[in-house]
Amino acid sequence: MPRGRILAIKWGMNPNSSSLGIDVTFLLAGATALAIATPVIGALLRWRRRPRTPDAG
Amino acid sequence: MLADLARRAVDLALGAVEAVRGARRHPPRRIRLERFGAIVQLVAPRALVFVDRAFARRLVPGATWRDPETALGDVPLSAPLEAHLQITNRCGAGCTGCYTGASSAGAPHEWGLSEWCRALDALAAAGVFHVALGGGESAALPWLGELADHARRCGIVPNLTTSGLEGLERLVAIADRFGQINVSLDGATPATYAAVRGFDGFARADAAIRALRAAKRAVGINVVVTRHNFAELDAIFAYAAARRLSEVELLRFKPSGRGARAYAELRCTDAQHRAFLPAVLAAARRHAVRVKVDCSYTPMLAHHAPDRALLAELAVYGCTGGDFLVGAKPDGRLTACSFAAPPPPAADGARPRVDALAAYWDAPGAFGEFRGWRAAAEPCASCTYLALCRGGCRVVAAHVSGSAAAPDPECPRVIDRGRVVTRLPVV
Repeated sequence: MPRGRILAIKWGMNPNSSSLGIDVTFLLAGATALAIATPVIGALLRWRRRPRTPDAG
Repeated sequence: MLADLARRAVDLALGAVEAVRGARRHPPRRIRLERFGAIVQLVAPRALVFVDRAFARRLVPGATWRDPETALGDVPLSAPLEAHLQITNRCGAGCTGCYTGASSAGAPHEWGLSEWCRALDALAAAGVFHVALGGGESAALPWLGELADHARRCGIVPNLTTSGLEGLERLVAIADRFGQINVSLDGATPATYAAVRGFDGFARADAAIRALRAAKRAVGINVVVTRHNFAELDAIFAYAAARRLSEVELLRFKPSGRGARAYAELRCTDAQHRAFLPAVLAAARRHAVRVKVDCSYTPMLAHHAPDRALLAELAVYGCTGGDFLVGAKPDGRLTACSFAAPPPPAADGARPRVDALAAYWDAPGAFGEFRGWRAAAEPCASCTYLALCRGGCRVVAAHVSGSAAAPDPECPRVIDRGRVVTRLPVV
């Protein structure tokens, strides 16, 4: 089965009731930091317990 | 400096522990299938992760899709990621630029707890991950805690913005029910706060920030950036670092509500918009504070030609009203975003409501110009950032040019092209 890939990560939660909060902190460190973080996130997703049923379709 | 970084690391780690504990009590929605694959929610670190179908199949064995796979952004999502619920328009602060025109009387026909709970049920059924509760001053509502509990029971994470000027004691007692709470603080000094808001509420907002931060780690500040506080951005980040806040969220001033009248006087200058990204990143680096910006700032980010692939991987999008997010007025009317007017009424005269989101979401022409960015005019049409920026803020465009379909008039590229056009000889 192909491993697939992460397309995007929207970090954090948006408490602001007037717009979509975009975390731009990663622009400080650039693509390298995200290139390091993305496989970690991928591993976290795969490691987590699988749900009994899909939530939506 | 090292001590500061160590403190930030401790706060991050303990914040993650808080988030995991909260998720154990009320597990949030974990995954939602999409045309491109799926969106998966992580609790620690807090993130929504967009994955392709191959990845999604590993997470949800047996998952199937009716339609061919598309790229992220090619078509609207199956439902918004988050809904911005203006659960009241009551607020006694009377801020000069209030984007909802809030007042002590509130709005006509405001919904109560039962109606908003019904809306949360509908949003959960549609697959929404988060709600952002705002106002007016929603912290003054006696049933705010019950609404947050209901959201949690539905698998939705409730987040909150407050001015900190009303209902503080009650809010501190229920702070743990929210994912993230931000307090509006539009200046680093009482004088600047007053210049932006029309009165000095700095000390009360500061007291609210300290009280909420003592109760919870995921507390930040929202800052509406105006020409009066732009020069104070560094001081605002210093304030956030000193209070050990989790983030600073910077918001562009919108000509909505009372803000429409104050727009010319408060909006940032073109020079400030061009200087925005470097100034913000420098302040975030200097004070080691996480920074978020609102979607309407994407044209000002694109002005500095950042790596498009990096922006896409960070889910940096411009106007995503009626797609990644929706809004709702205090009477339940659905909007593309909090600043937008409700869509036109249907043939029967009824306007779409947030508790019937699913019925409107896929309707032909739903959300009008907010989903029409693919047909953008020049100079957006030839801009390499169009698929991310989506033409900038529809609300500013509608106010300045009279058309919500027009390019964002404060975008540096739009301004530069306009200057070129005005220099052309008249034939």
